[in-house]
Amino acid sequence: MGMIQLDQVTKRFEGRTQVTALNAVSLTIARGEMVSIVGPSGSGKSTLLNLVGALDRPTSGDVRVDGQPLSGLSDDALTRLRRDKIGFIFQFFNLLPTLTSLENVALPLHLRGWNRARVTERANELLSLVGLADRLSHRPEELSGGQRQRVAIARALSIYPPILLADEPTGNLDSRTGADILALLHDLNERLSATVVIVTHDDGVARSCQRTITLRDGDVVHDVRHSPSRAAGVAAP
Amino acid sequence: MILLRLISWPYARKHVLRSVLTTAGIVLGVAVFIGMHTANQTVLLGFSETVDRIAGKTQLQVTAGDTGFGEEVLDVVQGASTVRVAVPIIEVVVDSNIKGEGNLLVLGVDMTGDRSLRDYDLEGGGDAAVEDPLIFLAQPDSLILSKEFADRNQLATGSRLSLGTSEGQKTFTVRGIITTSGLASAYGGSLAIMDIYAAQHMFGRGRTFDRIDVGMHEGATLADCQRELQALIGPGFDVQPPSGRGQQFEAMLASYSLMVGISSAFALFIGMFIIYNAFSIAVTERRSEIGILRAIGATRAQVRWIFLGESAVIGVIGSLAGLGLGMLMARGIAVGIGALISDVYRIGQAVDEIAISWPLLTLSFTIGVGTSLVAAMLPARNAARLDPIKALQKGNNQTLSVGESRGRAAAAVALALCSIGCLLFATGSRPLFYAGFLCAMVAALLLGPLLTLGLAKIFRPVLRWLRPVEGALAADSLIQAPRRTSASVAALMFSLSLAVAFEGMGRANAASMVGWMDSVLNPDLFVMASQSLDIRTARFPVSMASEIAAVPGVERVQSVRNARTTVRNTPAMVIALEMNSIAETVHSRPVSGVAPDMYRRAAAGEGLVISDNFAELQHLGVGDTVEIAAPYGLIRLPVVGILVEYSDQQGSIMMDRSVFIRYWHDDSVNLFRIYTKPDATASTVRQGVLERFAGRRQVFVLTNSELKTYIMGLISQWFRLTSLQTAIAVLVAILGIINTLTVSIKDRRRELAVLRTVGALHWQVRRTVWLEALTVGFFGLILGAALGALNLYYVLEIVHRDVTGMRLDYQFPMTTMFVLLPTILGAALVAALWPAESAVRGSLVEALEYE
Repeated sequence: MGMIQLDQVTKRFEGRTQVTALNAVSLTIARGEMVSIVGPSGSGKSTLLNLVGALDRPTSGDVRVDGQPLSGLSDDALTRLRRDKIGFIFQFFNLLPTLTSLENVALPLHLRGWNRARVTERANELLSLVGLADRLSHRPEELSGGQRQRVAIARALSIYPPILLADEPTGNLDSRTGADILALLHDLNERLSATVVIVTHDDGVARSCQRTITLRDGDVVHDVRHSPSRAAGVAAP
Repeated sequence: MILLRLISWPYARKHVLRSVLTTAGIVLGVAVFIGMHTANQTVLLGFSETVDRIAGKTQLQVTAGDTGFGEEVLDVVQGASTVRVAVPIIEVVVDSNIKGEGNLLVLGVDMTGDRSLRDYDLEGGGDAAVEDPLIFLAQPDSLILSKEFADRNQLATGSRLSLGTSEGQKTFTVRGIITTSGLASAYGGSLAIMDIYAAQHMFGRGRTFDRIDVGMHEGATLADCQRELQALIGPGFDVQPPSGRGQQFEAMLASYSLMVGISSAFALFIGMFIIYNAFSIAVTERRSEIGILRAIGATRAQVRWIFLGESAVIGVIGSLAGLGLGMLMARGIAVGIGALISDVYRIGQAVDEIAISWPLLTLSFTIGVGTSLVAAMLPARNAARLDPIKALQKGNNQTLSVGESRGRAAAAVALALCSIGCLLFATGSRPLFYAGFLCAMVAALLLGPLLTLGLAKIFRPVLRWLRPVEGALAADSLIQAPRRTSASVAALMFSLSLAVAFEGMGRANAASMVGWMDSVLNPDLFVMASQSLDIRTARFPVSMASEIAAVPGVERVQSVRNARTTVRNTPAMVIALEMNSIAETVHSRPVSGVAPDMYRRAAAGEGLVISDNFAELQHLGVGDTVEIAAPYGLIRLPVVGILVEYSDQQGSIMMDRSVFIRYWHDDSVNLFRIYTKPDATASTVRQGVLERFAGRRQVFVLTNSELKTYIMGLISQWFRLTSLQTAIAVLVAILGIINTLTVSIKDRRRELAVLRTVGALHWQVRRTVWLEALTVGFFGLILGAALGALNLYYVLEIVHRDVTGMRLDYQFPMTTMFVLLPTILGAALVAALWPAESAVRGSLVEALEYE
């Protein structure tokens, strides 16, 4: 059984004209796998990520995360699933601007009701892990783009979730910083055995992953597994 | 116009709720303004109409305050060459004793001579409707009722009706019904007519009249007749057209009118905040739109006019809706004021129909639109000044720039210093005092955003400690967007400061009253001719004093006569006392003068003792001479002492009974003060008094505590109306909170979505919004209490200087704050319910993509 399973998942957006973003997509992503999803704009990449991340609901079909079907779950149940099993990394970081690095990373832990000492300990640990031990009390505006993304990754890892979903994690960074972040994600994938799904436009990022799924007009048109040596080779361009 | 359609209309349609809430600010402001003033005018009109309808064709009225005068004055008036007809009147308001009917205005007239002034339009036509005119005149129990009153209570000719008279409850017989003439509809239709001589007897008037109504000969002018009558009867009488009574009534309501003015001004002020808040937010939100407009060629003036045009439209719609709502509110308020005035002033008036005043409607509409335009002026100017390049850049635009903060702080400090200067160096100047008040309020207004920001920074650690995520985010929301929050906090601050000031004034009034009652109202029992202390038309003969003194257990009896008259062109209360006896029982320290000497001189008829508030309002001190034009001569006596005395809002003049009797030819008594012997109880003495007069006189005996409770009841009734005004002001402020939160949710849409994405459950997101609302409410409370403390000082000074002259002790109403704390926090929470729900609804995906 895969960590993430999609079975005949369709997503349509209603409006003046109906748009089908995903069209009966079925796929399975295994535990510990690092997968990239590519395709042109409007192909359904982000929609797929949103459905897997329980941020959105499919029009039809079934999404399962760690064996649990998402259909029929309430909003709060989906939130619980997200906070227990999924970490998000966004292109524009989505850090709360008023909170320090430490507070941003601590956010999901507080929401889980952890005690303050344990929260602080874990947030410190995570910021050290992403190399920002010396930026604990900095606010997002005082950090570079790469540092912000590291904070966002630390926040996504706060409970060491089994799944990491990244939407264009290097899209808003220069190439050198982007490479650093990608290396970090690979490192986390290896050390924590997390399932990592990356939506990207960047071929280099896509090829660095073990598997690349290509979408076009809502359909999976390619699903390619790369050899480990190739993937590793592209990871540090 | 095209810009309004292309730019503003789509924005308004997209933000329907906010547009409605913004408009609601003006709706409520205008509604309170028009409602309060219309109610006030309605009550005044009710009184004037009653006066007019009763007056009929009367051209002049001769009165002597509410003391009445002897019958011989009628002969003098009738003898005047310009007078065609002069008829005496007695006017009494009595309890109808019918559930739900309230009071009945009884008019004592001389039916034989009165028809040339009033149309009696009796049912059935002519005198035939009165069963037997001779019986009507011969039987003192005869009444003619208005058709409206009779129909309402299923009364007809021959029915019986029980009314309170000076001789106790008496049964009257209906001997005629007046149909729909002007007279019948006076006093809301609750009118009864009886023969004047029967009225004299029934209501203890002796051989006096309350008033003489005059009709002039053709060709005589009002001025000629007035001059002739005044010369004949002397300055102790007022000779005025019936409309003059309306002016006196208006003067008596001056303090109430002032409070209405202050409240409605505050309501509009708060409405202005809401508009300002909404437009500040709109300018911030529409920066990119403004940038695009400027980039494609819109001038600064065009941008400014877009916002001013929107505010004008909101002003017009809000004002029209406010006029409608205000007229609906007016009726309810008018009934409340009418009842209050009937109870407090004992003045015959009844709310008949709402007085629609086109000038007032026009003024309210203009004020509504003007307020909206003024409120939008600053945001519109800011919009026009936006640099197109900066406007197109993304970023946080709700913050205050350092320069703006410094400018505000500097202006606020300058105004505060100006306010202090006005207080310190211009104690006697009324314009400077009010200028100081205005400076203080504007300083508070300018400091609002800075104080809100400061408080948010101070309370952030506390909130974070309380709830690490929700608390910190709530505080951060306020810190990041002082523009968004400060107007709501300021609106709350102003409305609460009004509540604190009015409540403080009420409590100060009550506390001062208690102090006064404890020192002055110290007899054990009070004997009154009416259930109400304010009905001065029901009186006792002085001979009752010796009868009361003979009741076992009575140690001392003091006779008191009070009457309202006109002194220095303002209504004032004359209180006639046995000064020697009072000197031995009342131990209050005079404000000015020496107690034993003051009473001795007053008792000898060598001087007057005046109340503190009368001295203040009339700028009088010990040694100054007061002139009182009484019916039987001009009193010119020096002030020999000033006492704290709260018998009348306009002030009191105390004199020895001998002086009053000499100048009014009236030895009747309104009230007997009884001191019991040490070995007697108040209850046994009361029983003795009641038994002594049983079946002979209507007497009401109140114990000391009962009288005090009665007075405190009147005071609390007075302030109940201010509570209504406060509630409306708070409601307007709550609208501000909803508006702010609605925008806050929109501004923080992405932030809240991130929160939900990383694991916040619905209740955790809701709690963030609730905490923000509670924080806004709490800051409003803190600042409202602080400004209220200042406001209370000014309100007490205004009361002292310009309203009643009363020197009220400053007491901050802590208990009110304890009540307001849960009320406002609860209201803030209620205001946050819908915004909190909207924060947890909607698409997470869209919110995360939101820019």
